[in-house]
Parts: sequence; structure tokens; C-alpha cells
Amino acid sequence: MRKKLPVICPSCNSGLKVNSLHCDTCETTISGLFELPVLLQLDPKEQEFVLNFVISSGSLKVMAEKLKLSYPTVRNMLDELIHKIKTLQSHDD
Amino acid sequence: MMTKLINPFHYIAGAKSLVWGLLIILVTSVIGYYSHTHFPDVISVKTCPELPVFYFILQGLLNWFVPATLFYGVALLFSTSAVRAIDIYGTQAFARAPYLVASLMGFFGVLEKFGKHIMWSLLHYGEPVEISLLEMAGAIGIMVLTLLLTIWMITLMLHAFKVSANLKGGKLALIFIGVLIASMVITALLIGVLIKTL
Repeated sequence: MRKKLPVICPSCNSGLKVNSLHCDTCETTISGLFELPVLLQLDPKEQEFVLNFVISSGSLKVMAEKLKLSYPTVRNMLDELIHKIKTLQSHDD
Repeated sequence: MMTKLINPFHYIAGAKSLVWGLLIILVTSVIGYYSHTHFPDVISVKTCPELPVFYFILQGLLNWFVPATLFYGVALLFSTSAVRAIDIYGTQAFARAPYLVASLMGFFGVLEKFGKHIMWSLLHYGEPVEISLLEMAGAIGIMVLTLLLTIWMITLMLHAFKVSANLKGGKLALIFIGVLIASMVITALLIGVLIKTL
């Protein structure tokens, strides 16, 4: 089962930060306080959309064909994503 | 299935919907010519006397082009997305699909008979026309079906605009109602002039 990366605190709804990183090979654990990159704060479907968009060389037409959706539907999805990324960036700043 | 009926524009837009839409408008016009059914403004469906085929084609094109042009204009003004003209014109043409069915209405002579009966019995106008209960039920059934087709077409026009212009909520509702009313007035005037010139 693929685990979902939690980005929102279930207790107070604030954005979560990374507290520790672990190496499976040598069992090293690094502790600290790291910000989650904006892309990791997106939900899995949105991350998949970003990946597909890059793989499609940024062509909405190719994306629409791949997803079997109309061009304006895909453009609207991208516009919503842009809005969300801008909001996350402004929160981070 | 329901999404495809109410909002097919999730899947189809652009040149594809324009080609299909124009084909639908053409077929609707030809059927209207034979069934004597015309669309004197964006949403009205009425029976009419014999008129030349080019009138039906021209009114079909006006009922698509006028609202589509207005929708494109307001989309450029109010949308923050990169709106494409081909999406607005294509989806609005495709949205007229329900009126392909409505154009068959005139083939049922009972509707004209029912109209004459109402005029005679309620307004004492014209020749006395008797109508059976079955014919009356048929005429009312056709009118209800036409009303449902009109509601379906308006819903399609709304979703066509929503998807093409990426507008939502109150802003979308207000703009849509405004453009629909303006389109009804403009097309009624233009088609009125067109009928007078025949």
C-alpha cells in the first residue's frame, strides 16, 4: 500500500513541516525542521497532473488527449493548480 | 452518463464541437423546413408557415452566432483564463443539439389544431375547431417535451460557457443570465427583420 504524505496537521489544521529524515541503508536519522516544498504540499492527483504536464512538454493539447478530456477542462485544471501553488507560495513567504 | 448529457464539454470542445455543432444546426434547419418549425429567437420553438430553406439555415446560424459572440466578449472581459474563441463558438454550437429533436415538433399537426382550438374556445377567434381528448393529451405532451428540451439546451449553454470561460458562482450566473436575455432580444429583432424581408 502506498502511504499518503500528510501535509496538514490533523489536530489543528496547520501546515506540517519535516522533523526527521531517515536513511534505510545505514540507519542514519537526521533531525531538524525542514519546510515541505510546494510541490509536495499538493495532493497526489495534483502532483500526478504536474508530472504529466512536464512529460507532455507543457502541451495542454497532448494532456487533453491523454486524459480524454476537452482542452478547456484541462486548462481550467491547470489554472486551479496555478492558483493553489500561488496561495501555498504566499503562505510560505 | 448524466455528466455526458448535462456537461459533455468536459470531454468535447474546440474544433470537434464546432464541426458537430454546425452539422447539428444544419440538420435542425433542414428538418425545420420540412416540419414548418422555426426558432424565432435563441430559445423559442414555434410552428410557422412555409418559408424558404435559407431562412431556416440563417436563423439557425443567428441563434448560435449572436449568443456565442456575446459570450466570447464577456469571457474576454471577465475571465482570468486564456479563453479560446473556438471553444466558445464550438461548445455553443454543440449546445443546440436538443433543438434537433424540437425541430420534429411541427410534424405533429395536432399542435396547430390545439392552438386553433384554444384561440376559438378562449378568445373566440377564427373558425370553430373541435379536438378530441387524445389529441389534446398529445399536444400537451409535445409542449411539455419542448419545454424539457429548452431547459436541457439552456443547461448545455450554461455549461458550455462555464467550461470555455472558466467562470464560477454568482459571477457566472449573472453574466450568463444577462447574455441570454440580450441574445434573445437581439436574435428576435434580427430574425424579425429577416422574416419581413422574405
